[in-house]
Amino acid sequence: MMDTVGAKCIAVALELFAFLRLFFESVVGIFFESGRPHFRLRQVIDQMYAIGVESLPVIVFSLTFTSLMLIIEFSYHMKLVVRQDSLVPAFSTVLMLRELGPVITSLLLTSRVGASIAAEIATMKVTEQLDALRQLSIDPVAFLTVPRWFGCVFATVSLSYVALGVAILGGSAMAALKMHYPQEQFFNTMFIFTHYEDFLCCGLKAAVFGTIIPLVASHHGFRCKPGAEGVGNATTAAVVHSTMLIIISDFLLTYSLYAV
Amino acid sequence: MISKALNSATGVLEELGSTFLFMLHSVGTFLREGVSFRQMVNQMYAVGVRSLSTTIFAGLFVGAIMAIEIHVQLRDFGAEGFLGGLATSVTIRNIGPVLIAFMLSAKVGAYTSAELATMVVTEQIDAIRCLGTNPISYIIVPRMIAVIICSFLLLTIGLMMSIGGGMVISNYFLHVSSQTYIQNIPRVVSWWSVGTGSVKSFVFGVLIATIACYQGYHAKGGAVGVGATVRRTAVQTLVCIIIADYMLSTISAFFYEWFRVGQL
Repeated sequence: MMDTVGAKCIAVALELFAFLRLFFESVVGIFFESGRPHFRLRQVIDQMYAIGVESLPVIVFSLTFTSLMLIIEFSYHMKLVVRQDSLVPAFSTVLMLRELGPVITSLLLTSRVGASIAAEIATMKVTEQLDALRQLSIDPVAFLTVPRWFGCVFATVSLSYVALGVAILGGSAMAALKMHYPQEQFFNTMFIFTHYEDFLCCGLKAAVFGTIIPLVASHHGFRCKPGAEGVGNATTAAVVHSTMLIIISDFLLTYSLYAV
Repeated sequence: MISKALNSATGVLEELGSTFLFMLHSVGTFLREGVSFRQMVNQMYAVGVRSLSTTIFAGLFVGAIMAIEIHVQLRDFGAEGFLGGLATSVTIRNIGPVLIAFMLSAKVGAYTSAELATMVVTEQIDAIRCLGTNPISYIIVPRMIAVIICSFLLLTIGLMMSIGGGMVISNYFLHVSSQTYIQNIPRVVSWWSVGTGSVKSFVFGVLIATIACYQGYHAKGGAVGVGATVRRTAVQTLVCIIIADYMLSTISAFFYEWFRVGQL
């Protein structure tokens, strides 16, 4: 029993250590070496397109449904606790901004983008393309991970804001239709309780999650074992570990942003 | 533009229809041929026991996050006494099942679909068919039942853990004692809330199992195909979970309003 627990702990610690090493390697990879960056701007823009633009419909759709669900649920709770639901827009918008907007965006991006980054890099590893890159004296971390990192941070932050905008509009329409709640009143109530800091919270959380997704994915891609099974395992592990890290770092961020 | 949108809409409908037909086919096979108990228990171990620690962790953290977020909103009104009830109710009814099911769709759904896709790509399924065994009844049905049962149980355990997480965080960091927190829970949480949470958990389990098995069974093309299958499974499961959550919330609120069930 103790042996298993100890072995598990050591494995987790080693994994974390390897992940941190990849993080520092990517930070180093940002900086120019001998006057030229390791990656091209073109690649960053390609990644922004692949991650951001192509995920837009799915994320807007899902966040809108989340917003509608929250309005129904908060109306239920408010009626239960204070016997009226006039403060629903305030509660649901603050919860969307501080919590569900960035979290659901990044969890969806984890499965969409994280899995595809992991599968891509794992396939490159299995077909020995990474070795070819190394032979051309190109650092695979700087060449593959850094553009994806920039693209993903940009995509998470902008996607969560865009999707939140649509979701709040959808929520106000829903409130007008089902709860007979005029639009003006919805937005008035919303702006009384929503502060500027809540918007900043959303952006900060999204940026942190946007860092976690590509780094965890490429970490598992680089350590992939050969064969179809290896690629499958790497992709699954990437999705599981980034979801876990996102939930844990969300807790830490929520706690440290509590006073804001 | 319009033709592109139409094409993608048709694609979504086709995918939905064939997933549903696949589910019906599996249910029919189950009714006709039964299920190998041993296979099912093996799968339940592989899927359920291995995910237990992760789910407990996720549940604790989700509960803690929701306690903090609800406290942020309640402190403006000085209504911290309601923290226990509201945080528990919001977690059990909607946020908890969704976030823990996201976790499980990665851990359970992606694992199952990657395993099945590897079997398809390395032609193990064809080998089974060559031996005269029906792959649906030998491979798919045990997995589906195991994933449904395990997801439901794991979600329930995660939701129970979330109460503990919220209680601990509010006792040590939010200055709401555990006693107040616990005493307040029955004032807001009724059997209707717990029932809604359980129904959601069951439906999410069915969604995870069906989509993972369908996508894994229909994987194509080598190592690249396995990666693509895992990605598609994860995305489809998450979107379906969100839509199902909205629908179940609406149905639950409708019954609550009209038939006055579960009133405190």
